[in-house]
Amino acid sequence: MGTESKIREISSERAGEHYYEIQHPSGLRIFLYPKEKNNSTYAIFGTKYGSIDNCFQATGDAEPRRVPNGIAHYLEHKLFESEDGDAFARYAKTGASANAYTSFDMTCYLFSCTENVYESLEILLDFVQSPYFTEQTVQKEQGIIGQEIRMYDDTPQWRVMFNLLSALYHTHPVKIDIAGTTDSIAKITPELLYSCYRTFYNLNNMALCIAGNIEPERVLALCDKMLKPSLVSSVERIFEPEPESIVKPRVEQSLSVAVPLFEFGFKESVAKGRASVRQLAETDILLEALASPASPLYRSLLDDGLINEASFSHEYFEGPGFASVIFSGESSDPDAVADRIRREVGRVRREGIGRDAFRRAKNAVYGRNLMALNDAGVIANTVISLAFAGRELYSYIDAVADADADAVLSRLETQLNPDLSAISIVKPVR
Amino acid sequence: MITEVDRRSVCDGVGFRSIRESRFKTVRISVHFFRPLEQETVSANAILPFLLTRASKKYPDYTKLNEHLAELYGAELDADVQKMGDRQVLSVSITGLADRYALNGEKISGELSRLLCSMLFEPPLQDGMFPEDGFEQEKRQMIETLEAEFNDKKLYALRRCEEIMFSDEPYGVGRYGTQEQIRALKRDGLTKVWQQLIHSSKVEILVLGDCDPEPVFCDFSAAFANLGRSGAEECPNFVKKTAAQVNDCTDKEDVAQSKLVMGFRAGCAEPEKSVPAMKLMSALYGGTPNSKLFLNVREKMSLCYYCGSAYNPTKGILTVQSGVESENLERAKEEILHQLDDVRAGSFTDDDLQAAKLSLCNSYHTISDSLDGLEGWYLSKTFSDQGRTPEKEAEMVSAVTKEELIAAAQNVTLDTVYRLTGNEEKE
Repeated sequence: MGTESKIREISSERAGEHYYEIQHPSGLRIFLYPKEKNNSTYAIFGTKYGSIDNCFQATGDAEPRRVPNGIAHYLEHKLFESEDGDAFARYAKTGASANAYTSFDMTCYLFSCTENVYESLEILLDFVQSPYFTEQTVQKEQGIIGQEIRMYDDTPQWRVMFNLLSALYHTHPVKIDIAGTTDSIAKITPELLYSCYRTFYNLNNMALCIAGNIEPERVLALCDKMLKPSLVSSVERIFEPEPESIVKPRVEQSLSVAVPLFEFGFKESVAKGRASVRQLAETDILLEALASPASPLYRSLLDDGLINEASFSHEYFEGPGFASVIFSGESSDPDAVADRIRREVGRVRREGIGRDAFRRAKNAVYGRNLMALNDAGVIANTVISLAFAGRELYSYIDAVADADADAVLSRLETQLNPDLSAISIVKPVR
Repeated sequence: MITEVDRRSVCDGVGFRSIRESRFKTVRISVHFFRPLEQETVSANAILPFLLTRASKKYPDYTKLNEHLAELYGAELDADVQKMGDRQVLSVSITGLADRYALNGEKISGELSRLLCSMLFEPPLQDGMFPEDGFEQEKRQMIETLEAEFNDKKLYALRRCEEIMFSDEPYGVGRYGTQEQIRALKRDGLTKVWQQLIHSSKVEILVLGDCDPEPVFCDFSAAFANLGRSGAEECPNFVKKTAAQVNDCTDKEDVAQSKLVMGFRAGCAEPEKSVPAMKLMSALYGGTPNSKLFLNVREKMSLCYYCGSAYNPTKGILTVQSGVESENLERAKEEILHQLDDVRAGSFTDDDLQAAKLSLCNSYHTISDSLDGLEGWYLSKTFSDQGRTPEKEAEMVSAVTKEELIAAAQNVTLDTVYRLTGNEEKE
C-alpha cells in the first residue's frame, strides 16, 4: 500500500479513557479502544447497509436498483460460508464467541474472545471480505431464515413495533421487517447477493471497531496484511418521498398473548442529515424528565395500574430518513396510556421542566452513559453505529454534561407533536 | 488477570464477599436471601424484594425515592427472585456510578450503601404492616410479569416443560408461585415473613466494583448486629440422577412456530467431580454454533433457526430447545436424540473436544469483565466451593478427557418431551 494510516487519538477527561480513530489506506475506518485490564476483546466489522437499503444507486449504475426485501439480512447469514468452509468452524479453533446482526441501517459481524485475539481478527477480516454464494447454499438458507421469520411472527414485541412503523410511515422502508417475508426471500439469488455485496461491502462504506485488551500496532499490522483496498465509490440510498403526515392513528392485531402490548409513537419531520449529538443528548434528557420513574407521568400511570415497571420504556428511534419518539410497554388499557402521555406532553409544553427535574434527568442520563463504558461490547457497538451516523461518543457524553435546560425544552418545537402520533396494540386472541 | 474475591462473615449465616476493581466505573452492592422453595411460602417471599425496594421509612414516597436515585447519577435499585435448585433466592441490589465520575464531586457510594441498608431494615410500616398502596401495586405487577411469560413462547414452553418434569419436586414450584397464590396474598402476614427473611435466612452480601468495601461492611454489620440472629435455616437441594420414564406432553396454542423442549436428567450435579465433564458435554452437544445440534438440526437439515442445549449444574438437568414447523417436530426430536447417541458413542473428533474446551474457557475468562458476570458467578458458588474463581473452573474443564465426556453423556436420561404446537394449517 502506498500510503500510511492516519491516526487520531480521541480522549475524554470525564470518562478517563481514550481511543484511536484510524483512516486506513484501504479505505476502511478503524476504531481501537484499549481496555488494558480487560481479559476479553470485542471486535466488530460492519457495513453501512441494512434492511432499509432496498433501493439504491451506486457509482456507475445507470439507474436505481430495487432488490428483494430482507436481502441484507440474508447476505449476513450467507457470508459466514466460504469456499473452504464455515466461519464458525474456523472460530472454533480460537475459542471466540462469534455472531452477526442486521439492523435497519447496518450489518455487523462480531466476536468476543480472551485468547487468540489476532487469529480471531484474521478470521473476521477474511470471511467478511470473501463472499461465496451458490444456488445450493442460498437454497439451504431458505428453511433456516424461514424459521427465523416464523419465530418473529410469534414475538409480540416485534409485531407491535412493525405495526406502529406501518402506521407512522407511508413509504419509508423502515416499516418493512428486517428479515423480509417468506415470499420476498424466495426471490433471492446468488447473483443478487453478489451484486449487493459488491455495492455495500466496499471498505469505504465500512468500519472496524475493536475494544478490549489489544495492542494497536499489532492490530494495524494485521489490517495492513488482510485488507484488500477498495476502489473509491459511493452509493446513494434512494427513498421515495415520505409525507409529513402519519398513515393512521391506530392499529391493532390479535396474537396469542395474555397481556396487551403497545407502542405509541410520535413521528418527526426529518432533515437530510442525521440529528447532531447535541440534539440527541437534549432529546434523551427531555424524555428522561418526561417519562422516567422519577416523573409525575410515570407515577400517575403506575398508580392507576396502567403500566408496569418491568415493561414501560421509551426510546428515540432515529435513523436515515426517519425519526420518532416511541413509548412502549404492556397495559390493560393502552389507549388510556396514550391519552395520558399526550396530555402530559401538552402540560410540559405549557409549563416547562423545573430546575430540579432538569438536573436530575441530566444526572441520570450522564451516569447511565458513563456506566455503559464498563462493557467492551457496548463500546464497540456504540462507536461503530455513531461512526456510521457521523457522530462521536465522547462528544455525545459532553453534550449531555453541558446540556442547557432551555435547549432541552426547545426540542418540543419539533418533537412529540400529538397530531403526528399513532398507537399500535397487540391484544389477546378472544 | 485473575480476580480474587475477599471473603468474610458479617455474623452467623451472613456472608460478605467483595472485589475491589477500579477498572469498573460502577459500584454494585447486592444482598441475597436464601429460602427453601416451598409451595406454601413462595409467593409471600417473592413479593418482599419488590416491596422493600419501592419505599423506606426515609423515602416512603415512590417518586421521591426515584428522584433521589436519578440525582445519584441514575443509580438503580433492583429486586430479583430466582431459583437456585430447590432454593428460592430473593435479591435486592443497588448499582451506581463510582465517586470519581460525579460531575460535582458528590460522594455516591456511601449513600448507595446506606440507602440499600435502610431499604432492607427500615420499611415504612404503618400499624406494623407494609403500606396498602405499595402492596397492591406489587401484587398487580407480579401477576403481570407471570402473564407476560405467556407472551414469550420460547420461555413459556421451557417453563411448561419444567412444570411437568418437576411436578412432584420442590423445583416444580414457580419462582413467584402461581397467579392465584399471589392474588390470595394478605398484607397482615407479610411483616412476619419479612422478619423471618432477615432474621433466619442464609444471606450473602456481594460488594463489587470501584468502591471501598469497608464502610459497606460496617453498615451491614451494624444492621445485622441489631437483629441478634442465631444462625440460618437449612436450604436442602434434591437431585434426581436418572429418569424413571419419559413424560410426553403437547399443548396447543395459536402460534406460527411450534416449540420443542426436551428435559433430561444429567446424572450429576454440583459439587460432584464429573460436573466439568458434563459442562463440556453440553457445549459440544448443543452449546455453540459449532456444536452437534447446531451443525445438524439447523445447518444440515435446515429444520430450525435455533437448537441448543443448556446444563443446570445445581439441579443436575440438561434441556434442549428448538423452534420448528409442527410437521417437523418428530424429525427434530429424533435428530436431537440421535446426536446425543453419537456423543455417547464417542463419535466426535479431538478437534470437536478442543473446540468445546476453548469455547467454555472463553466464557469463563470473560466473566471477570463485568459486574453482572462476577455477581452471577460468585452467587452460584454460595453452596459449593465459594472461593473457586472462573479461571480455576476453566482449568478444570480443560483437564476433562474424551472418556470422561463420553461417560458423562452416557449418564444422561430423557425425562420429559414437551411440545407447544400451532394450528395445523399454514397461513
